[in-house]
Amino acid sequence: MTDAAPAIFQALEASAWGNTIRQSHWLYMTANVGHILSLVVFASGIAVIDLRMAGMLAATAPGQILKVFRRVVGIGFLGLLVTGSILFTAEASHVITNPVFQLKLALILLGLLNVTWFEYFTAPKVRDLPPLKALPPEAKTAGIVSLAIWFVVAAVGRSIAYF
Amino acid sequence: MKRILIVLTIGAALTGAALAHHGWGSYDAANPVTVTGPILAAKYENPHATINVKGSDKEWVVTLAPTFRMSNRGASADVVAVGKTVVAFGYPSTVEKDEMRAERITIDGKTYEMR
Repeated sequence: MTDAAPAIFQALEASAWGNTIRQSHWLYMTANVGHILSLVVFASGIAVIDLRMAGMLAATAPGQILKVFRRVVGIGFLGLLVTGSILFTAEASHVITNPVFQLKLALILLGLLNVTWFEYFTAPKVRDLPPLKALPPEAKTAGIVSLAIWFVVAAVGRSIAYF
Repeated sequence: MKRILIVLTIGAALTGAALAHHGWGSYDAANPVTVTGPILAAKYENPHATINVKGSDKEWVVTLAPTFRMSNRGASADVVAVGKTVVAFGYPSTVEKDEMRAERITIDGKTYEMR
């Protein structure tokens, strides 16, 4: 526990739930493994969508790729959120003051902004295009930016333990 | 391109705030220490268990390992308990005063690897 952290994070760490996570034989380890598995699911869906937007897999219908793999991404993200919040709660006051974790949060926010932008402005222009039809340039940009952001998020996430 | 620049800018701004933070990388492997003494306090907790040990020079905070690994290797909470005498070999922290990360500990004549 560090009192350098805002009170709410100290309270979260000191809560009964925080205690349970720290003392449980299984919970923390399971959350740790689950976080990686969720990342694998999330990243696989992200990769397919982003590579399609970037111009690969051109013989597939973009609308179908979006529809199917958006679900994969959603499931992965939900898993990341649940397992990540368990890992976070155990050491909330320390983790929130860790600059690498703060960078990760900022990058996640950026990634979500990119998703929101894409879903509102770009996806509607893309989803009804037939296979082999060139996608608008902003789709390509969104795909490449998204891939870059989520790669860095994963790298930064793993680095939290070392700073 | 613009968005990538924004990413980099935010990243640079935040890492600028990076002060000496306690992490797993900051231990002095070139100067290992062996601390012997009674366990004054024990936290058998995730992500890493810690014990306070009254060494001959000072009271050390000894960072151990994930509890799942420790109990798998026999270093259960009953073994790593307050009042027992421990020999802890490990590396002193370069950041946190009086803290060390144990490579292995010996309690009641049995040695448990932490890594």
